[in-house]
Amino acid sequence: MADRRTRSMKNSNLSRTAVNRASMIALQLQGESSKLLELYRQKESFPADATDGRLVLVPPPSSQLDTRDKLWRLHSALLQTQSLLERAITKEEEELGGGIKGEYENQRKTVKGRLSFLLLTTGNLLKAVDGAASLTPSLEGLELDGPATLFQLKLWLLQVFSEVHHWSKAAVTTLQELLTNAADERSSTTRVRSTRSARR
Amino acid sequence: MPKLIFQHTLKLNCSFPWLICVLVNLLALNTHAQTIPTVPKQVSLSADLSVKELTISWFGGAASTFDLIILRTEFNTSVFYDTISATMNQASGRHEWKWTSAEPLECTSLSVRIRSRDGLATSEWSKMDTFPGRDLPSNNTLQMYPHDRVVEVGSNMTFCCIVKEGKTFKEMLYGNTVMNVTRLSRRSYATTLVNVEPTGVSGSNIVCRLEDLSLDGAVMFVGYPPLPSDFVCETQDLKSAECHWKEARDSHLTGGRRRTRYSVNSRNCNVDLQLTCRLPLWDGNWTLMAENSLGHYSLSDSAELIHRVRPVAPVNLSSVVNAWNATVMWQWTYESYFTLDLNCQVESTNHESKTLHVFSGVGLRSVKLSGLHPDQAYTVRVRCGHQKYFWKWGNWSQTFSFKTQTDVTDPPDVWMWMNKDRTGLVVWKPLGYQQSHGRVTGFEVTLWNPEDVEQHTQILPPNTYSVRVNLTEMASLGVNKKVFATVVVKNIKGASPPSRVPLRFIDEQPLVLSKPVFTNNRLFLFWQQNATNTCNYLVEWLDTSCEHDCPVKWIRVAAGSTNVSIESENFKPGVRYNFSLYSCPSDSPQLITRWQGYTQELVPSRSVPLSVKSQDSKVVITWGEIPLSDRRGFVLGYNVYISNGSELALLANLSSSEMRRYVVKGLSVGNYKFTVKSYTSAGEDTGSTASITLEPFTDALILEMLGALGTITILLIIVTFICYKKRNWVKKAFYPDIPEPKLPGDWSRLQGPLDVRPSPHSMVHIVEKPERDFNKETLVVIPEEEEYFEKDEPVDTDEPMSLRYYNQVVDDRPIRPRFPDSSASSASSLDSGHTDVTYTGIQTSGSSLVFQPDPQGSSEEQPPEVVLYDGGYKPQMHPKVLSDDVVLKSSNPFQESEAASSVGYKPQCSWHLDSPTDTAETSSLAPSLGSPTSVTSTQFLLPDGDGDEKNKQQPSSAAATWFSNLLLSSKP
Repeated sequence: MADRRTRSMKNSNLSRTAVNRASMIALQLQGESSKLLELYRQKESFPADATDGRLVLVPPPSSQLDTRDKLWRLHSALLQTQSLLERAITKEEEELGGGIKGEYENQRKTVKGRLSFLLLTTGNLLKAVDGAASLTPSLEGLELDGPATLFQLKLWLLQVFSEVHHWSKAAVTTLQELLTNAADERSSTTRVRSTRSARR
Repeated sequence: MPKLIFQHTLKLNCSFPWLICVLVNLLALNTHAQTIPTVPKQVSLSADLSVKELTISWFGGAASTFDLIILRTEFNTSVFYDTISATMNQASGRHEWKWTSAEPLECTSLSVRIRSRDGLATSEWSKMDTFPGRDLPSNNTLQMYPHDRVVEVGSNMTFCCIVKEGKTFKEMLYGNTVMNVTRLSRRSYATTLVNVEPTGVSGSNIVCRLEDLSLDGAVMFVGYPPLPSDFVCETQDLKSAECHWKEARDSHLTGGRRRTRYSVNSRNCNVDLQLTCRLPLWDGNWTLMAENSLGHYSLSDSAELIHRVRPVAPVNLSSVVNAWNATVMWQWTYESYFTLDLNCQVESTNHESKTLHVFSGVGLRSVKLSGLHPDQAYTVRVRCGHQKYFWKWGNWSQTFSFKTQTDVTDPPDVWMWMNKDRTGLVVWKPLGYQQSHGRVTGFEVTLWNPEDVEQHTQILPPNTYSVRVNLTEMASLGVNKKVFATVVVKNIKGASPPSRVPLRFIDEQPLVLSKPVFTNNRLFLFWQQNATNTCNYLVEWLDTSCEHDCPVKWIRVAAGSTNVSIESENFKPGVRYNFSLYSCPSDSPQLITRWQGYTQELVPSRSVPLSVKSQDSKVVITWGEIPLSDRRGFVLGYNVYISNGSELALLANLSSSEMRRYVVKGLSVGNYKFTVKSYTSAGEDTGSTASITLEPFTDALILEMLGALGTITILLIIVTFICYKKRNWVKKAFYPDIPEPKLPGDWSRLQGPLDVRPSPHSMVHIVEKPERDFNKETLVVIPEEEEYFEKDEPVDTDEPMSLRYYNQVVDDRPIRPRFPDSSASSASSLDSGHTDVTYTGIQTSGSSLVFQPDPQGSSEEQPPEVVLYDGGYKPQMHPKVLSDDVVLKSSNPFQESEAASSVGYKPQCSWHLDSPTDTAETSSLAPSLGSPTSVTSTQFLLPDGDGDEKNKQQPSSAAATWFSNLLLSSKP
């Protein structure tokens, strides 16, 4: 355990900048996905309370999860979100697309790009923590049965965009937690060292 | 039916009448039984949900008319009830009828019953048959119908929402609008959209919400059927066909599967990028079919291949370049073009100037472009069309660039400016890109005289466009010799042809400087044509204020021209320019005419120098001229203002630039500010202000007073002089001779006792008679004897004599007694102004005057009261004398009344006899005679207060009285 903690701290210290950077990207995605959601609601005249339920399936959050597990959970959720978003965009273009691209379409493209960037960043963090190679998202339960109607497709799109927004917020929170934990570990390490040197 | 047969058998056993009745009845019954329609059987319901159509079929026997009722099953409400005609399908033997519902058929269950009808006869209703809706309990979900419907603009659409069991319906929304809802069944609610508008790419949503915020909805697309236009087919490779068309109307159905599908001659077309369809062979006839969810539309076209050639763009352009021309070459993609009769356009661009060259030929692949300029970069592109059967220009080729070769430059445009001191400038214009023909390496300027061999040459670097010359330093050129300057431009190809200009001072000034015309951002100059002049012209312009080494600009004009226009960008606004027209500028320039003017006038940039000074009570405002460079326009005049607090009040508008003085009159003492603003056609300048304070003008006041005094003095002198000169007339007019009284009858015979001795103690009373004598005191003769006063009246005895009264005019003649009595005459003499009364003592009224004015006696009827004293003067009545003046008496009522009085004044003959030589004595008696008199008194007469007040009112009336007396006395 001590070895693991030491390794974890070491890795945390190494990836502090990367975590901070990932946090900033997540923050950007949070704003952009919020705007996308708003644009879509306006475009389709959906009420603000028009969506419920989750599409992304990940283990529930827990305080018992360590850094690696938290990153795993986040990364997995983001992977599922990305998959959902790509399918949503494709489906929307097929069924409802065409015509001149406007602000909504541009925002959709921006969110898609930002999410991919965040995924890349969190993937790197995960590699730094665990040394794992690539992660394959679990798309179980994400298969779209094929919305029976276009209205259901539109509701599903709204859900997907809500998921992007939800997990961008979750990413901000998780990454901030990692930064805070890293700072705490660093300060406790400094205290231990100073105590030892005082004893000597 | 069996029952009816049964009845018929029973009636056969009855009697004959009954039999007849029964037969009639049976006949009737039989007839009736034959017309009863059969009840429809095996009713079958089927639906086409997409078009909300319910198909009802049944076995209806021979009947063709049926009554049909359709009910909403759950609420048992009728949605259709009518008599219909349905034909029997010969193959199946079933009748069939279609009914279109307003609501989607899924909304709720519908029940159908049918009965046959034959006229008024109807069958029984068929057994109820039901088409189940989606609101059955077994289908317990939130649903919305219809889904994803595409409708035409202007349609009406009904949607229904089926709520879950146990849930409560809240609302239906179209966009953000809450719709009116009709309840169709226990769980089904419907709303209708009327005259729907076109929707966007993703359609419009109709949302059904429940109270628990769960929702479902439907998407609706509203648009138009396709409407293509301008369908044409053409060829580029001379084999295949390429067809194009346009959409005349936006269908609004562009998303997903709703977009319009196109096919040409049944071949599907990919129209993702543009509305084009390619066919491998030239069919000659084509049909375009456009189709979407709302309908289809077709267009046709037919043509021969040669008539529809739109050539491809030439490729692989190349060139062979010279200084003044170039050959452009290209290639064709298809060999079939080599035999094609082509018409080609070559567009060359040089410094953003485009030129279009047109060439023709069979299989054209190269053209020669002429009219190019040396050392210039050109960009060309080519396109072609069929020459004989021109259809359309082909596409432009890719652009191709080349640069022409260099050549010697054109001769420069040279002109000069000469000062009066034989110095000056030789100037030339920078060579444009079309004149330099290559990079300029320098200039060579040579001064020379045709008669001399010696030349003065200067080599100048490029970018030099003037050189200063001083002819006085060139001894060989002489003072009066004709000097020319020659300028040559050099580039890498060599020297240009020379340009020359004669150097001489042209100081001729035309009589009239006219103004140029400036319109539409151009300046126009006009002049008369001179038939003798065969040279070119040159128009030169420069800033008028420039005098030495002026940077002249010029433009050359062809011989025979009578006008020129110059771009306004050559001029600055607010600058006055001199424009000079010269003939033969290269040999012997002659000034033809000169203009002066502005391209744009501005308000003066500087105000006038102003001075204000006071002159007497006037203020003189003077100002100077604005320097020429600051006028910025022709000064049209000046406005003179006076500062009125914070505002300027216009005093004068002087509409002449020559008037630079203004006089302000009638100003009172005070401080004044004056502002003078010059103005041009552009407006006023800011103005110059000067103030002045006007002081009180004391010298003028003194002068005025002195003048007035002098005038009075002169007038007095003149009057005196006139009076002196006309003294005889004056004497006659104002002091006529008093005629001697003529005594009628015998003087010695007296009719009554006559006291010839004048009373030594006579007294003249000044009797105040306001009404009659205008309150004027009357002189009363006061006796001189002291004892008399001591006896009767208290007298101021300080003075020896209280009153001396005498006539100033010495007249030896006997005094003619005048009418009226002496007291009245005395009053008249006092009023005349020619009476001098001198008081040498003061006598109080109470002591000196024996006459006291009686308030009662002021009435007109009462004459002045005369108090007589013992031993004093006694007037004598003399009727004869009175009758002599009867005429006068009638004109004076006062006198008339006085005459009636028993105490009237009567002149005494004896009085005259005693008095002639004794001036003092006689004069004391004379006042009663009415002539101008002088009264001298040694005592002051102080009338009482009342009398004094009344005296103030006397002068005018007294003067009038005196004047009337004067008139009377002058009468014969």
